[in-house]
Amino acid sequence: MNSFIVKGLAFAVILMIATIVVVQKMHIDLSDPINWITILGALAIAGLSFGVSAKYLAQMQNDTASGELAEENWDGIGEYKNELPAGWAYSFLGVMIWGLWYFFLGYPLNAFSQIGQYNEEVNAYNAKFEAVHKNADAATLKDMGESIFLVQCAPCHGETGDGLSGKAEDFTKGRTKATVLNIIKNGQNALGAFPGGMPPGMASGAAAEKAAEYVASGCKGKAPAEFGVCAGCHGATGAGTPNVAPSLKGYDVKTALAKGKTGAIGMMPSFANRFTPVQEKALDSYVNSLKQ
Amino acid sequence: MFHWLEKNPFFFAVGVFLTIAFAGAVTILPNFAQSAQPIKGLKPYTVLQLAGRGVYIKDNCLSCHSQLIRPFKAETDRYGQYSLSGEYAYDRPFLWGSRRIGPDLHRVGNYRTPDWHANHMWEPTSVVPGSVMPAYKHQFTNIADVETAYAEAVTVKTAFNVPYGDDIKPGRAAFDAYYKAKVLPAALKIAKQMKNKDLIAQVQAGKIPEVVALVAYLDRLK
Repeated sequence: MNSFIVKGLAFAVILMIATIVVVQKMHIDLSDPINWITILGALAIAGLSFGVSAKYLAQMQNDTASGELAEENWDGIGEYKNELPAGWAYSFLGVMIWGLWYFFLGYPLNAFSQIGQYNEEVNAYNAKFEAVHKNADAATLKDMGESIFLVQCAPCHGETGDGLSGKAEDFTKGRTKATVLNIIKNGQNALGAFPGGMPPGMASGAAAEKAAEYVASGCKGKAPAEFGVCAGCHGATGAGTPNVAPSLKGYDVKTALAKGKTGAIGMMPSFANRFTPVQEKALDSYVNSLKQ
Repeated sequence: MFHWLEKNPFFFAVGVFLTIAFAGAVTILPNFAQSAQPIKGLKPYTVLQLAGRGVYIKDNCLSCHSQLIRPFKAETDRYGQYSLSGEYAYDRPFLWGSRRIGPDLHRVGNYRTPDWHANHMWEPTSVVPGSVMPAYKHQFTNIADVETAYAEAVTVKTAFNVPYGDDIKPGRAAFDAYYKAKVLPAALKIAKQMKNKDLIAQVQAGKIPEVVALVAYLDRLK
């Protein structure tokens, strides 16, 4: 055994001892198998480093060259005739086949796209969401509506839906008599969803008062005769007529979200395409439940 | 030729560099050039909006607000459509920001109104209880630097061909005419939407408070 191997062996042993010392110093938890695997890996690396370097260094010291020389030489340096290593040849062929696949099929088809991944994720999520909540009960819808409201609506309408003292519609009071009278007097096309809108001055005086009271009550009970002029468009019970006039019972949240709104208080921007149908339904049920 | 290159390592290195640089240029640059184009329909900032951008930079909004919506569901749910690089084509400098102590503002014009901003800049907790944003009351009295904004518009029009109209041109007289014809009416419209009598009076007197310019800018972020 020459001195080189002795030194190498000593070095490998030092590495192994160092590993064990470190393990003990750091109080590594040996009940966890992953730590054992790591330690064994460290010991193996120390052993293998010694083994592999010893092999090649010994080869450099002892090996002699033999075989058939190629005819060419380069500045006096010759080359042996060697067979192409089989492993290398097969890898080369494999890479060529993989390259053809990658150029003509793999890359264009499997190219990563951040937006593509986003679309997939969102579509999958929305489909699942719609499926899960297709027949959501009233309580779930209201809870869902509240959480959406707190993020998207509360900055203007207030966390309790009180409209922050007149900065936006006060959902807790609902349409007041004063609001309805104002609409009767000045007309209304706030949603912009119904062709023509409502002309000003449909009723006045006591008749307008009576109709406004009925609308502000949420169209409960029997409609007074004065409501007749409203019923022409809004329906006999104030439930609204498709494409002609909105419902007077509660708020038409869906249209307001889609079109935005410009009214006596100010302007509400459109929230089109921000919510799924179930979320719109949830917001609708929550907003209309706020009236005290 | 190649024999000669093999004998001249320096020129060989130059050749290698040129080859790799060329390959890099043809694969990378077209993509860069394409994504740096303004998206269809994008208009450059008006002078009033540029002045507001100046206020945004001066009061350091970008240390708490980002302007970049990433394509993740959680972000698009809250802030709207994810941002595209072409939307920043006229941003010099871009104001992406890197922290979100406050919410992202890249599409704030879609869901907040000038009226809301007026309340919020005066006293943030009046509309967002629990907000940690400080009040920016000085913006209601400080006058916006429209001259610098105008100079900026003239500069980017000359230097980068940003498509401004012919009425943006150098000179004091041109600025005064533009200020009266374009900037003041736009500011008055915003001030009226903000429903603040004091602001309206200031704009009518020919001065534009910083907050009006800032809200004009925020309203443009869509």
